[in-house]
Amino acid sequence: MARTLAMFTDTSLCIGCRACQVACKQWNELGLEVPDWTGTYQNHTHFTDKTFRLVRFIEEPKPTGDLAWLLMSDVCKHCAEAGCLDACPTGAIYRTEYGTVNINQDVCNGCRYCVSSCPFGVVSFNETTGTAKKCTFCNDRIHNGLGPACAKACPTDSIQFGFRDDLVTKAQKRVETLKAMGFKDAQLYGADSKGFLGGLNAFFLLLSKPSTYSLPEQPKLPQRNVVVDSLLSVGSAIVIGLGALLAFRDRGQGDGHA
Amino acid sequence: MLKTPDWELMIVWYFFLGGIAGGAYFTAAVADNFGTVRDRAVARTGYLLSLPLVGMCGMLLIADLGVPRRFLNMLGAFKFWDPMSIGAWMVGVFGMFTFVSSVLSFTSSEKMAALRRKIGLVGLLFGFFLASYTGVLISNSAMPFWSDARLMGALFLASGASTGMAAVSLLMFVTGATAGEGWGKVKKADRFSMIFELLVLAAFLFMLGSAAKPITTGHFAPLFWGGLVAMGLVIPLVLDLVGHRVRALAPIAAVLVLVGGFILRYVVLMSIQA
Repeated sequence: MARTLAMFTDTSLCIGCRACQVACKQWNELGLEVPDWTGTYQNHTHFTDKTFRLVRFIEEPKPTGDLAWLLMSDVCKHCAEAGCLDACPTGAIYRTEYGTVNINQDVCNGCRYCVSSCPFGVVSFNETTGTAKKCTFCNDRIHNGLGPACAKACPTDSIQFGFRDDLVTKAQKRVETLKAMGFKDAQLYGADSKGFLGGLNAFFLLLSKPSTYSLPEQPKLPQRNVVVDSLLSVGSAIVIGLGALLAFRDRGQGDGHA
Repeated sequence: MLKTPDWELMIVWYFFLGGIAGGAYFTAAVADNFGTVRDRAVARTGYLLSLPLVGMCGMLLIADLGVPRRFLNMLGAFKFWDPMSIGAWMVGVFGMFTFVSSVLSFTSSEKMAALRRKIGLVGLLFGFFLASYTGVLISNSAMPFWSDARLMGALFLASGASTGMAAVSLLMFVTGATAGEGWGKVKKADRFSMIFELLVLAAFLFMLGSAAKPITTGHFAPLFWGGLVAMGLVIPLVLDLVGHRVRALAPIAAVLVLVGGFILRYVVLMSIQA
């Protein structure tokens, strides 16, 4: 396996221009969508089968009563422990040699289990192709020595592309700088490879707590419960089995002669 | 900002019929192995009922795919920790058991009947699997309502058993196979399953806590409390216990149990997807 690649999205640098969103649409030929008019600048409200990069516009109340813009370019996290990948029954969702998570569109049969398994609501079902869609980390570009289109287009380096270990070091320094500047809630999200989901290969620097950005504070792998659930099902089967056994062993009259 | 998979009615039907198929086969295998000769009608009814139901399950699963002609891709991978992957395999494996058992249920040879009983004992494990794995499948998702309690599989299994037995008892009533004592035994086992299902359901709601809101309050609450708990479990139990001398009440109770089983899958799947 090659050295793990990553995208680092530093939300403190985002100006909300949406060049990333447009570049993503263009490179991946994602096509038009009717906008969701929700009363904010943000479009769409969430990832869709044709929106893989999405700039979130969050209005956070300040202690003074004013609102502050929090801007964040959101994307598939390419989790080191990916719920979608574990859920996929066909093997269409796979991990590339660079550590990213991709969906093979020729294998996916559209069962949609991955959609329900993503802790971030990233994977979307495309009705036209009948398959699941999400950010590919520009798989075609990274295999040809180019970074993802969104990172390439970002005019402020809010989205940076590189080797994961390099980017994490850089991100940690950036948090220190921001804290010294007075952004006391500045924090990394998903940078720690010993943290949740084994770390995210698209990780973030946030200026507020994760829930402000509609991110789960502690995302969990959906598959963590399969053993306990199965054992309790077996327990249920044993009880039902004993009940039926007693009923059929009973040589008495039962109540069948009513 | 989670996304629901938007599985709709076809999957509700699949969960429901898979439960009945598993429950009916299990009932048949128990009657076959541990019942008396006079329980043979139970075994034959259960085996013959499970076969077409599993067939329908397979068709529903394929039809619901985004690209149905790629259904074989499920069999190109085997992920033992993934309910969706093993589930697809097991529908096929259990289907073979129901087929062989159904064919052998017509045999008059004692040797073949002995074989059928042995096959039934193994097959019932797969029947249990089909009835419960769907619950384990949805509870291994990112949805809090589906995944916060550890009893979805156990609940689906209990419901599969109670609806499977209700279906067998109803079919025996319709085909006039109620003469022996087998019919009474099925109803007895069904009562036990329903009481157990009520207990599991209570534990399930308790474990879910506030995550149970999609079904316990709001739009789906009347269907859940009225349709499943009252009409689908409590009333049939009362009918069966109080009125078991009145023959005509038995099929009514069985139909109510079946409707309740459908409502369980319906509210669980649709309440967070609507």
